[in-house]
Amino acid sequence: MRYLSWVYLLALFTFILLPVVTLVVFSFQDGRLPVPPFKGVTFEWYAKVLSDRAMMEALFNSLIVALLSSLCALTLGFLAASGLARVILPGSALMRGALIAPMTVSYLIIALGLLQMFNQIGLRPSLLATGIGHVVINLPLCFAIIYAAIGEHQKSALKAARDLGAREWQVLWLVAAPMLMPSLAAAFFLAFTFSWDEFIIAFLLTRFDVTLPVEIWSMLRSGLSPETNAVGSLVFLVSIAIVVVLELTLFRKGSK
Amino acid sequence: MTADVHINAVEHRFNSFTALHRVDLEIAAGEFIVLLGPSGCGKTTLLSIIGGFYTPSEGQVLIGGKDMTHVGPKDRPTTTMFQDYALFPHMTLCDNVAFGLRMRGMSKVARSEKAMEMLDMVGLADKAGRKPHELSGGQRQRVALARALAVEPDVLLLDEPLGALDLKLRRQMQDELKAIQRRVGTTFVHVTHDQEEAMAIADRIVVMNHGRIEHCGTPEEVYLTPKTLFSANFMGEMNRIPVSAAGASPLGQLDVPAGEGLLCLRPENIGLEGQFSLGPARLTEASFFGAHHRCHFTPVNAPDLTLVAHLPQGAYPQVGAEVELFGRDPVILPPAMTEAA
Repeated sequence: MRYLSWVYLLALFTFILLPVVTLVVFSFQDGRLPVPPFKGVTFEWYAKVLSDRAMMEALFNSLIVALLSSLCALTLGFLAASGLARVILPGSALMRGALIAPMTVSYLIIALGLLQMFNQIGLRPSLLATGIGHVVINLPLCFAIIYAAIGEHQKSALKAARDLGAREWQVLWLVAAPMLMPSLAAAFFLAFTFSWDEFIIAFLLTRFDVTLPVEIWSMLRSGLSPETNAVGSLVFLVSIAIVVVLELTLFRKGSK
Repeated sequence: MTADVHINAVEHRFNSFTALHRVDLEIAAGEFIVLLGPSGCGKTTLLSIIGGFYTPSEGQVLIGGKDMTHVGPKDRPTTTMFQDYALFPHMTLCDNVAFGLRMRGMSKVARSEKAMEMLDMVGLADKAGRKPHELSGGQRQRVALARALAVEPDVLLLDEPLGALDLKLRRQMQDELKAIQRRVGTTFVHVTHDQEEAMAIADRIVVMNHGRIEHCGTPEEVYLTPKTLFSANFMGEMNRIPVSAAGASPLGQLDVPAGEGLLCLRPENIGLEGQFSLGPARLTEASFFGAHHRCHFTPVNAPDLTLVAHLPQGAYPQVGAEVELFGRDPVILPPAMTEAA
């Protein structure tokens, strides 16, 4: 039995990681095609990517969009969650439902809706439009994570802060935010990665300045090359870095 | 700093449920008041109304002569010590205690000095730099008290603050609370369902049931001369014997003050000697409680009744023996006062 479970574990990790490993390995391919056989190691493709201005611009755009849109989603989600956790209003359940609803709608539908609406109000496809789209998809996520983290203990500490004379912004800034820091950080990093990876909305809502996934897609249209692998590996490296940072800071704290 | 509290005809409803029925209560400045009652009696609702967390459906709350009915907790001269302490986990004890002062715009130096003074009062000055999770329950309790008192409120509201502590620590904290209240002179309004705690600390006890005040008086008054059967039972064990106006009862003719109703006798007021005879009774059960023997007697004239008596150490008859019982300090409640017990 013990032998079998090790085999299972190995098979599981192979299944999950094999595509990524292949991607990374063939980004070093000394040849024109990222397919077996492996012909030798070269850093040529990485050099090409890093000197590709369009690619670097897209990467920078992606970072900005991800950073600003997830900060915005985080702030709005935090305010909504603390408000709805504080008082019971007629229709509280309905409001929660309405806030979470976009999570169940496909990105394609959201993107189409936004595209039509932006056309109506005259907002051209741009990084701003994409950022707004990312706030729309990440707000429900941030709200749900933070709302779930506000328990009786938090509520009563917030009550105590008000009782001691704190104004509402002081309650939120000095007590609620620090107490909810782990979930705020988790919500922020999740929103950041989702925005960083997002393709459909970015594809429909950008035109001249594009985000990284859109740039990679246009590169793929001209055929496979180890260069695409190199870009993929770099993106993967960023994701790994975020996970490692999370592991070292937040989750370690939680297990203490 | 201290102030009196007037509660005028306060009624509070949650949807269709009425939590308080036109409650009137006057609390003098510097008094230690305990709101006592079973869960759901409205005591916590009343406390929340004094603290400003609820606005009453009807009626008025005056604190220090000023109408506070529609003023929020932030702007009231009250602070609350919460049941679960509600300390801020990310702040040190010193910052926790200084929080209210910081909100009042006091300078950093002045407020940490005051916070240290308050921590010193509750005996935790050496732990000022610690975080709440490093403390025991009793210590958190004290920090919560120091934090609530640091802003020098006129009225301190305590919402079952000792509920989570073990018995020994609870007794110790009761003494400390009482001593600190004497020292700072603030009006304390304390909510509990533990009648021993109420008697140990209160200047006056307010016994509540079903959203109404049943009895309000000193611990002695409430325990010895209860006004209703509910408050008689809630304050401790009570023997109940129905009597007629002429003194007739199932036990026979009793030599008690005239009045029809229910004769109430505390177990410690029944014994082998006393002011009036309760007739012969047989001892059916006895157990030793340290300070006394708790004995169950079945009266010979009324075998359906059971009388509980606390007899002094060393002086109790054998189980099965028949003795004559006596009572003292009788309280006779008229029939109108014996409902809803």
